[in-house]
Amino acid sequence: MFKISLNIIACFKWVVDHEDIKVNPETNELVLDRAGYRISDYDRFAIEEAVALSEQYGGSTTAVTVGFPAAKKSLKDALARGPEKAIFINDPAFANLEPSQTAAILAQSINNQEFDLIICGEGSGDLYAQQVGPRLAEHLNIPCASFVRKITIEGRELIAERRVDEGIEIISMPLPALVTVLPEINSPRVPGLKDTLAASKKPVVEITGSDLEETVPCLETVEIKATTMERNCEKFDANEDDLKRFVEVLLRAGVID
Amino acid sequence: MDFKLTEEQELIRANMREFCEKYVDPVAVEIDENSRYPAEIIAKLAEMDWMGMPYPQEYGGAGLNYLTYTMVIEELSRSCAATGFTLSCHIGLASGPIYNFGNEEQKQKYLTPLCQGEHIGAFALTEPGAGTDVGAGSTTAVLDGDEYILNGTKTFTSNGPVADTFVVFAITDKTQSAARGMSAFIVPKDAPGFKVGEHFYKMGIRASQTSEIILNDCRIPKENLLGKEGQGFRIAMQTLDNGRIGVAAQAIGIAQAALDESISYSKERIQFGKPISKNQAIQWMLADMATDIAAARFLTYNAAYLKDQGLPYTKDASMAKLFAAEMASRHASKAVQIHGGYGYIKGFKVERLMRDAKITEIYEGTSEAQRMVIAANLLR
Ligand SMILES: Cc1cc2nc3c(=O)[nH]c(=O)nc-3n(C[C@H](O)[C@H](O)[C@H](O)COP(=O)(O)OP(=O)(O)OC[C@H]3O[C@@H](n4cnc5c(N)ncnc54)[C@H](O)[C@@H]3O)c2cc1C
Repeated sequence: MFKISLNIIACFKWVVDHEDIKVNPETNELVLDRAGYRISDYDRFAIEEAVALSEQYGGSTTAVTVGFPAAKKSLKDALARGPEKAIFINDPAFANLEPSQTAAILAQSINNQEFDLIICGEGSGDLYAQQVGPRLAEHLNIPCASFVRKITIEGRELIAERRVDEGIEIISMPLPALVTVLPEINSPRVPGLKDTLAASKKPVVEITGSDLEETVPCLETVEIKATTMERNCEKFDANEDDLKRFVEVLLRAGVID
Repeated sequence: MDFKLTEEQELIRANMREFCEKYVDPVAVEIDENSRYPAEIIAKLAEMDWMGMPYPQEYGGAGLNYLTYTMVIEELSRSCAATGFTLSCHIGLASGPIYNFGNEEQKQKYLTPLCQGEHIGAFALTEPGAGTDVGAGSTTAVLDGDEYILNGTKTFTSNGPVADTFVVFAITDKTQSAARGMSAFIVPKDAPGFKVGEHFYKMGIRASQTSEIILNDCRIPKENLLGKEGQGFRIAMQTLDNGRIGVAAQAIGIAQAALDESISYSKERIQFGKPISKNQAIQWMLADMATDIAAARFLTYNAAYLKDQGLPYTKDASMAKLFAAEMASRHASKAVQIHGGYGYIKGFKVERLMRDAKITEIYEGTSEAQRMVIAANLLR
């Protein structure tokens, strides 16, 4: 294996820990006041893939996050997972960004960095809009592959295996490029104790909102409510009448057509 | 005093939790069931630098303070108390005396591989006739030229069947009281005349391995004397002071797991048309558990904090161990109660927790022994 030395950027988001989200049974509203935060699960695969590729091909990884000041806590956590440095794009106004804004902010911040590859999670653990990756690639005018489950680098070409509806698609694209990765791509390492201790000593570059052009939201959040699931229970026997009735019920419920 | 976790401590604790979810939780039931030593978990702990966490980096440790170490043992024990104890025995009881009393050569030779997890450590003090009465031991060590010859039987040695390096206590001067006539030695498992005896089959912490150690004209180089001749009793007592903080942490981990399980089960279990958690009787058990856990944590973190500050902590370590152990046993039993019949069935975590909790009242000094230490400090 020849060394290429890749400069990789892994994007991650600091999200509400979904296990801590409670629902107010009366209003169906989400109760977040006692929720903790964590690096979005999907982004853990992005960070791991970036670090693994830079170990395999040589090079280094920069972890980047856009967030509000409290997200500072995420940096050591991210750095303990292997990246050499972090960029923290931080502003109190960045608490509830929509994907188009996050992508625009990332693009402005990344534009003057040298990079060969940007890796994002397929979606974030909270909104799962699956937009930041492709929008960011568009801003930077680089090729993008989503739903990636395997990455190989050959010279200046990236070969990606994508899981699509029809099966597995294998594509190649020139670097620099962006990929969004699926959880099946790897098994993120658990940081060791010394990795955690070393994380404090790694460099963090901070960029604030005032360093960037303002972004405007194009969506308005009216309300956020918990989904409700309705369950029905009907019993069927194995006789002809019941089987007919079974098919009718499935048709009515829209499960089959 | 402020036990608010630093950002780094929080992250270290979270990493241990992640470690447990990935490597410990999936096997905790099986290793208990089969009394199996989880060699693969220990290898992972070594790979990830947990095996020497409170010792300096120059010996392969990670240089954590004792308070952080305590939190890590608690977190690990929340998933598996047997693994938590295997680690705290290795770090506190076996590596501890070598770090605190060993000379530079001994540290290089024995402490470094222990910290790196290449070797496993054990602490052999208890004998069939000498439990709480540590000084009643009859194992002897006699200097013969450049070697000591050890004779005797040690019992209940945790990590005995799997350890490479043993800290062994033996009488070197029969004319003196135990407090002056006992010495401590580093005994490698391949020393001639060293043998692992009977393995014990236990009620709880079954994945922790416990055995007899038989020393039959066991010869070790005289350089393996730890500290000076006659210092053994002091070394043993100081080591147990440290170790007790680890046992307290283990007990808190068990109690926390008992509370976690009880909260989630009581919210799900429906009787009389509502979750059992709606009954005040259940709520009070949960409230008492949480309160005792918080109290035990303060006692234990305080003892660790005093140790980190270089202040006396013998009494505080005993108080922490006594209170944490008794509350863990009490509440693990309550957790089974909250689970009703299901709590008595294998596979429900609280069944294991109740068995695992009991030992914390016994080893590294029984609850009675802790009360003796505390009272002796009060009446001095
Ligand atoms: C699973 C396990 C692991 C262990 N691991 C280790 C290890 O790694 N290394 C090691 O050296 N030892 C180890 N031990 C030994 C442990 O520390 C002893 O079992 C413990 O100290 C008690 O000693 P004993 O069993 O001889 O009980 P005894 O001392 O015989 O005590 C019996 C009872 O009498 C009480 N009692 C004794 N003396 C008094 C007194 N003066 N006043 C009031 N009550 C008293 C005790 O509290 C207890 O209730 C382990 C034991 C077990 C079970």
